[in-house]
Amino acid sequence: MADVSQLSTSLRRGTLEFCVLAMVETEDRYGNELVRRLGEEPGLAAGEGTIYPLLSRLRRSGWLESKWAESPSGPPRRYYGLTPAGRSALDHFRTEWVSFRQTVDRLVGTGEAA
Amino acid sequence: MKTRPNDVVAEYLHEVDQRLTGIPVLQRRELLADLAAHIAAEQSERNLASEGELIEVLERLGSPEVVAAAAHDEAGTRFTPPPPQRSRFWLILGIVAGVLLVLVLCAGLALAQGGASDPAVEQVPRGIPPTVQHS
Repeated sequence: MADVSQLSTSLRRGTLEFCVLAMVETEDRYGNELVRRLGEEPGLAAGEGTIYPLLSRLRRSGWLESKWAESPSGPPRRYYGLTPAGRSALDHFRTEWVSFRQTVDRLVGTGEAA
Repeated sequence: MKTRPNDVVAEYLHEVDQRLTGIPVLQRRELLADLAAHIAAEQSERNLASEGELIEVLERLGSPEVVAAAAHDEAGTRFTPPPPQRSRFWLILGIVAGVLLVLVLCAGLALAQGGASDPAVEQVPRGIPPTVQHS
């Protein structure tokens, strides 16, 4: 069980942040939306609360920008959007990921052609 | 009864905060504000009123340990709990005090034995300890 969670932690590291960037690529989303969406995916987040430190780092590194906005119902929401630097980081990940995935598929034998 | 659900939230946030030692203060505040906003939004958007429903929201967020560990991971810091350090300090202090006490007691016993024994014992050559006389 420890090995299984260790594997998903390792796989998550370095990929989850690009899933987050992709989620705000076309429109700004607020924290709860992002967190809820990622929480629905199996094995992607250890707990919804672990996404907020990630959002904080992405904002500090200049890939995301955030702004607080009034909500039609309830407390103010913090919306996140992609910066130009975040967009080019996401583009770069996409090309890297495709070749990375193909290499792993070929070596591990998980490719469709295998 | 109405304030109880908020007690759970305050307690949760406090538990997280306690584990954020070592993280720069503004990042700490930011995370706590984000978590509080998340909980407040869930509360109002889903019309949550009972403590049980709030606990479910907190469970989905993850335990304070898990959330704080993620924060340390992202900040590149490590959780260094202050209470164990203090208790270790007291442990060392206790051991030192215990050793000193034993030494003082031994010295006191030796003195008492020396004082109670026969004056002739005082004449015994230095190489033989006074206690040998009793055995």
